[in-house]
Amino acid sequence: MAFSGAEFLREHLRARLTLAMLVVIPALFVLVSASVLGEFADALGGSVTGDSASALGAGWAAAFLAGALGFFQVSSSRDADRRLALAGMGAARVAVARIGASILLGLLITVVAFLTLWLTAGIAHPPHAFAAILIFALIYIGIGTVVGSFLSDPLEGSLTVAFIFLIDAFSGPGMSGSGGVAQLMPTRKAADVLIAAGAGQGSPASDWIAVGLTTLGALLLAAVAFWLSARPRSA
Amino acid sequence: MNRDPIEAPARPANAPATETALRAAGIEKSFHRGVPPRRRRIEVLKGASLEVRRGELVGLVGENGSGKSTLMKIVVGLLERDAGTVERGGKLGYCPQTPLLWEKLTVDEHFELFARAYELDPEKTASATESLLAELQFERYRGYRIEELSGGTRQKLNLALALMHEPDLLLLDEPYSGFDWETYLRFWEMSERRRDEGMGILIVSHFLSERERLDRVYELRDGRCRET
Repeated sequence: MAFSGAEFLREHLRARLTLAMLVVIPALFVLVSASVLGEFADALGGSVTGDSASALGAGWAAAFLAGALGFFQVSSSRDADRRLALAGMGAARVAVARIGASILLGLLITVVAFLTLWLTAGIAHPPHAFAAILIFALIYIGIGTVVGSFLSDPLEGSLTVAFIFLIDAFSGPGMSGSGGVAQLMPTRKAADVLIAAGAGQGSPASDWIAVGLTTLGALLLAAVAFWLSARPRSA
Repeated sequence: MNRDPIEAPARPANAPATETALRAAGIEKSFHRGVPPRRRRIEVLKGASLEVRRGELVGLVGENGSGKSTLMKIVVGLLERDAGTVERGGKLGYCPQTPLLWEKLTVDEHFELFARAYELDPEKTASATESLLAELQFERYRGYRIEELSGGTRQKLNLALALMHEPDLLLLDEPYSGFDWETYLRFWEMSERRRDEGMGILIVSHFLSERERLDRVYELRDGRCRET
């Protein structure tokens, strides 16, 4: 019998609170970001307004949810996954199934965040906005998964993901600045693309290449983290 | 990890157990705890050795914290050892002390998931599932999610998952915690029957009172196994 990992996806979709958060968090981020993000950016020394702020809010909502789900995909089922791998499934198949479930969850989060943005603020450049929101989600699946492979405590892990998210968000384009360390933040280029899409503009090919490589790197890190978590320890 | 199945003929009841199913020798394991300057090294296993033959029911007893579960996890492959060797032959079944299950999946979904891991065909999966549900008497819970089950029923599923592929070597880490008396007795009947059919079984326990049910007993003390 084939192993698709649908069980891992089902596991999350059966959590009512998770499903509720999938709707509430994007709505909150998009609605709030439209009204207060401009003032907040001013206070940090940046400038982001109107539709770009709403679009960025959708990206952050997707990042926040995906980071949390990525973390719990590893930390909450680590021992059960290892038992399954040991029973004959193998760590690689478990890791592939987990990555597959994560990507589908990321896609679901993106659809919800995108629809929220579309219904509440409208989008000038929908395909670019959808792609950029998905990239936010996939990058944060990688971050959440890597954090989960080092930290098993839910509080410590959640706080660490939230801390990375806050540093990333507040040093993003239009917020605290554009030079130095801010350029190295994981969603920097994705935010550039999303802000441009919110304003109805396209993005240069170099930005798309950069976000593509960052996303690929994040997913590879996630795959390694899932594999390390599931692999047996015998020599 | 050795996952290659070794086909072994069933041993006739009461025939002497000879073929080795598990041999662990000179196992050492230390843990580091705390942060400097209070970081310390705790030596748990200091050369522990044991052997289980096919058709044998072997106990591993010891006080709390003596390292029984650590040794079991090393033998299974869930924990790295610092030194020593582990040799296993045939299919392995492992029942951890704490049920390792997925809270949102149902009992049936767990059987299906492990059937894929064990590479059982649909017919074999159905027969193993039906038989274990009946044997451990929890058929009515097969559509329930784990989060809806009592501790005892979770433990029944935990045990059933270790048995569904009829392993050659069964490693049980205090498998009956949470069982009521009737289920506890049934557990021993199940174990003895499988032992008689040729399965090698190692059971971690801290009840020396179970001595008469076991063919041999190792006591883990001061990091070493001593056959009692």
